[in-house]
Amino acid sequence: MDYIKHKVPPVREDRLMACQAYGGTCGDLSTESKKGCLYASKRTFSQTQGCQLNLSLGMISSMRDAVMVIHSPIGCGGNLIQNAGINKVFQKLRQESAVGLRWINTNLSEVDVISGGEAKLRQAVLKAEREFRPSAILVFNSCVPALIGDDIDGILDDLQKQVSAKIVPIHCEGFKTKIQATAYDSVYHGLIRNLVGEDNTATPAVIRTPEEEIEHQAKISKTVNLLNVGSMSRIDEEELVRLLKALDLNVRILPSYSHPDDFTYAHEAALNVSICATHDDYFVEHFKQMYGIPYVLRTIPIGIANTNKWLRDIASFFGIEEQTEKLIAAETAELKQAIEPFKAQFKGKTAFLTGGEVRILTTAELLHNLGFEILGLRGYHFDKYGEILLDEYLEDVPNSEKAIFNIGSGQVFEQANLLSKITPDLFVGHIGVNGSAAKQGYPIFPLFGQSDDYLGYKGVFEVATRVSRILKNASFNKNLGKNTRLPYRDSWYEQDPFTYIDDSASVAARIG
Amino acid sequence: MSKVIERPRYVCALGGAIGTIQSLPRAIPILHSSSGCGGNLAGALSGASGYNGGNYCGGQALPSSNVSERDIVFGGEGRLQEQIENTLKVMDGDLYFVVTGCMVEMIGDNVHAVTKRFKGEKLPVLAAETVSFKGNSYYGYELVLETLFRDFVEPAPVKDAGTVNLWGVVPMQDVFWKGNLGVLKSLLKKLGYETNTFFGQGETLENLKNSGKASLNIVVSDAYGIEAAKVFEEVHGVPYITVPLPIGDHGTSRFLRTVGKALGVDDIKVEKLIQEERKAYYPYLERLADVYNDLDFQRYATVVGDPNYTQAVTRFLSDDLGWLPELIVVTDILGEEQKERVLASFGEYESGLRPEIVFDEDASSVGGYINRHWPQNQGQKYYKGFAPGVIIGSVMERDTAEQFKVPLLPVTYPISNRVVLNRAYAGYSGGLTLAEDILSLVVAHR
Repeated sequence: MDYIKHKVPPVREDRLMACQAYGGTCGDLSTESKKGCLYASKRTFSQTQGCQLNLSLGMISSMRDAVMVIHSPIGCGGNLIQNAGINKVFQKLRQESAVGLRWINTNLSEVDVISGGEAKLRQAVLKAEREFRPSAILVFNSCVPALIGDDIDGILDDLQKQVSAKIVPIHCEGFKTKIQATAYDSVYHGLIRNLVGEDNTATPAVIRTPEEEIEHQAKISKTVNLLNVGSMSRIDEEELVRLLKALDLNVRILPSYSHPDDFTYAHEAALNVSICATHDDYFVEHFKQMYGIPYVLRTIPIGIANTNKWLRDIASFFGIEEQTEKLIAAETAELKQAIEPFKAQFKGKTAFLTGGEVRILTTAELLHNLGFEILGLRGYHFDKYGEILLDEYLEDVPNSEKAIFNIGSGQVFEQANLLSKITPDLFVGHIGVNGSAAKQGYPIFPLFGQSDDYLGYKGVFEVATRVSRILKNASFNKNLGKNTRLPYRDSWYEQDPFTYIDDSASVAARIG
Repeated sequence: MSKVIERPRYVCALGGAIGTIQSLPRAIPILHSSSGCGGNLAGALSGASGYNGGNYCGGQALPSSNVSERDIVFGGEGRLQEQIENTLKVMDGDLYFVVTGCMVEMIGDNVHAVTKRFKGEKLPVLAAETVSFKGNSYYGYELVLETLFRDFVEPAPVKDAGTVNLWGVVPMQDVFWKGNLGVLKSLLKKLGYETNTFFGQGETLENLKNSGKASLNIVVSDAYGIEAAKVFEEVHGVPYITVPLPIGDHGTSRFLRTVGKALGVDDIKVEKLIQEERKAYYPYLERLADVYNDLDFQRYATVVGDPNYTQAVTRFLSDDLGWLPELIVVTDILGEEQKERVLASFGEYESGLRPEIVFDEDASSVGGYINRHWPQNQGQKYYKGFAPGVIIGSVMERDTAEQFKVPLLPVTYPISNRVVLNRAYAGYSGGLTLAEDILSLVVAHR
């Protein structure tokens, strides 16, 4: 992978042949995916979803001591408004003096669309520097400046000479891709190009004595970059840090909730440890190529089996298998005892999950382990990383080939139809689709949360206790189910849920 | 040139249009836009409006053509037609309304030509070009109203003297819109009028369709809905008045007198209603006599937000509560003419107060104005600052309130640190609710 010298990364449709419209079973998907033509399918009726800008902000708006400039008409980045005044609480868990969300919108008007928005972009960056003196100014580019052809990189290169904050351009035009996860590549692209590495023209290079250098290298040889995600809580981070520290490793946490300076020495690490391939593959591949740093990417440490796999991958890199097996044995023995009482409660219960491919497959495995039968999954998109995990899932979970697999971000009409047919006891959902399922009366366990623990061994117990609590009384959603109505015709529920998925193009691609 | 804005308190015309349409009963917005537009706006519409949620069809349920690069190159009209056809099959509504995002405007898709093909179908399909870079949420509200008044409201040559229409309270942007519309409707009922509010509890699309027979349009705003009122007058021959949003006795009594005069209601009848309302209002405020005075609960106040609320809250604080709302920051993008109208709505206070009014769209400017109005302590021994103070604004003022160590009551958009269901601040009853909320805050901070 070598896209870093380009101004913008490719979209995931092209880079990973990612699919965004599919309906079938887990078994069929595994087979079909290997033929490599799923990416070409589309919908003839669709509902709205997020975009690259949306997800880029979700990933990195939490950066401390940074100001975001959103170069767009006034509405883009509007999602941030709901977090203004709230986000600071989570930032403060990482740094007491954190200041919360700050952003400037260039408010492109019709005049700017005709004559170009470059002057406004300059104005916004200079205002960010003057008013806030941040460490970094993250500049997000929406659809409109891309179409009118603003020379964003040229202007920002020029502005960098005038401001002390590090300027990070993040190109995330929404119309370019239907795979929102392309946003992660855009953000990492900007961060790698602009924040990683010391600027020796600004700061003198560190001079170490040979002894100090040895000590420094020894430290690096035990340092891992733990790549967090925007949906991770501080408690999640603490659990993973606890496990890595138990293996005598130093942990640097990037990129969500980080400080711009955290990236400067990010290349001084022995290993990049990801918890999500969807989130990190672009970053870790480039880091491997540019700095020779290997990575662990296979799975997210959710549930016992995947936490074990995640730890073993790390252990085999450092050659600390024995120590790791001891940790795993101790942790799992303790945990299995703790979750035993829940298994009786969950036995025979059914569940349906929706969200990112990596997260749902691993969470499904966790629920299966707690006694649930998994009736179906909805992935936001699907690519080769999902394919690997799905095959592992099919192996780990008996009789899972027949479970439903639906691919599509948003598209809650398909979800509503599916739920009306398969009626699970528990719905596990990503933010944005839970309200819809609630109005159908289902008990809902959110797939992630900024205040709760999901990851590692502790996460298993926490998930079990919360699911148990939610199943104890689902009256609120039951009331909604009886007294509210989703905006679909009755006739819709009689149709096949995948009626509006048009895969003629993928069939053509296969034949062609 | 329009200004860059630090933390804007509104989204684009498309966002305003979606918020407006999804607040109509059983109306389905259809987005002809990039796939991310609806998702991006959902948080601003649903999460930042006191957790308003998506109503019947909002958030990720919004149908959208989701145009992407290929449509941008080849044009998106074919995709839009397909999307409308299938929306009519899947989505259960009584009114469908196509709204557009930036991209399809820039490539020149003709949405009106496409929606025209659905004319004569069982269900109405309307369209407005909600050109996002032409204006913000409020502009989107105007565009939707204008389209409804032109293309949906039926001609009614004979007017009904007992019916009026009321708007200017913008759904979502006024976080308490639904409650407020209900309060204003029941006040007008007491004056003897039936009112269509279009968006309030119990409204129907039939009411909207038949609203052409109203004898007066009441725009409860000096900033929003006025262009739509002009369209209504032009198409249906119904005159309009503008009147400020009323909170509490002084605001609401002025409201009733203005509306009564425009409708030709007998003065005696209006004054009688005002007296009756006061008889119900003051016995509640009377309960505060001890606590207000024993504990000296008068406060200085900074009021931040849109023109509707800032003027209403300022009059309530000044004349009903006897506070000192000395600094007002109006955060909307307003034209010169609008600014003059808005400025005129702050004044003629019973208290004789003359607040400082500034127009500034940037969220973090507020602290600076407070420091200028109540000069900073330069280390002097005898010093008088913004104390005892309260900020009435939005959740954006959280940091500023912390900085000055004063309580904050979020009343104006955005609000994400309170949940709002049917609470109303308008009218006499709304004044009592606001008094409860403000003084509870002061009590809790003892």
